[in-house]
Amino acid sequence: MTGTEIYKRTPAYEHAAREIRLHAPQWKLLLAYDGQRTLAEVALSAEVSFAEALPLTRKFLEQGWIEEQPLTLEQYLKRTGLRDVSATGAAVPPATVMHEPEKAAAAPKPLAAPSAPPPLPASPVTEKAVEPAAPEKSPVAKPSSRAMKLSAVVDFITSLVGNISIGQLLVYRVFLRVPPELLLAEDIASVHLVGDTSLIQGEKLQKAIADAVNAVAKRTLPDSVFA
Amino acid sequence: MPLHERDIHYFIDVTLAHLNKITGNEIVLRDPTIEFQSLVFSAYTGLLHLKGGAEGFAYLTASQQFLQHLHGSHQGRITEEDCRDVIGDITSTVAHAMHKRFGTTLQISEPRIFSTVPDDPIEMPPAVFVQPLIWRKEHAYFVLGLASAETT
Repeated sequence: MTGTEIYKRTPAYEHAAREIRLHAPQWKLLLAYDGQRTLAEVALSAEVSFAEALPLTRKFLEQGWIEEQPLTLEQYLKRTGLRDVSATGAAVPPATVMHEPEKAAAAPKPLAAPSAPPPLPASPVTEKAVEPAAPEKSPVAKPSSRAMKLSAVVDFITSLVGNISIGQLLVYRVFLRVPPELLLAEDIASVHLVGDTSLIQGEKLQKAIADAVNAVAKRTLPDSVFA
Repeated sequence: MPLHERDIHYFIDVTLAHLNKITGNEIVLRDPTIEFQSLVFSAYTGLLHLKGGAEGFAYLTASQQFLQHLHGSHQGRITEEDCRDVIGDITSTVAHAMHKRFGTTLQISEPRIFSTVPDDPIEMPPAVFVQPLIWRKEHAYFVLGLASAETT
């Protein structure tokens, strides 16, 4: 998930709604899917951070309560016109490009500051989403014969250090060496350091991760990281 | 010489220690994430730029309610100035502790305090480490952005 997906609630949700039990913030997110706004915009309007919205969205998808809403060409073109998301109901200023994946290999560039001080937020958390890379610039992920379990990679690296918290920082250092464009090409916008459910199919990304583990942790990934 | 993970972890440790001192050890850690596409900014942020043994930045960003609890304002709304003072005090304490531990091997900037979004450009690394913190159901995030994977 990259945050640009659009979801809507399903008939299965309508059918099961009275039996569903969720915490209030989760209801807020679930009820915010309207088939119009992107996941990032929905998260903002529901005052949920993007990092929190991702696992909840996965859960709602697994339960069949929401489904992805395909776009018409007109909707797609309209959405790529850099529209101000505040017009769609988000309670915070529009998203700003903070990091362009296709330029990640180059030296980071300073970002433009807002021209005027922003107002106090109605939402407690602002997620600075990044515009998705243009499709033609995304690397083509050649599928590998076997999938790599991201959770297994994280657990392996963490296990190299006797302390989980320090091991998680080692995981971070490893992923600093993995080109973000390869991760984003597989819809991996974040790595959950506990219980990540992502499977990596692309051969290039698998190799990049293995190389990064080798370079940073001086270890070879074991076969057990593959599904 | 780049800092080891143990030293990098001190940034988080010292932040947590200070928050726990204020809250009576009530800070709860949620599972951290590595973000490739976005930064998390809550209502108020205290940011430190790092140079030397670690290049990049570390910041604590917290909701107004989180800071209100820290401030101990039970009656009425906390002012923007109060919020800035609270996050500024925490950031200064963290900076001081880091300077004491690392000395000249790590150059730490003066704290930058802002609300909502940074008012000056930030050098964005390829990925950031995000450690969510919860106190009294209110959220804060410790965010670490290193410019490279250089390690000892």
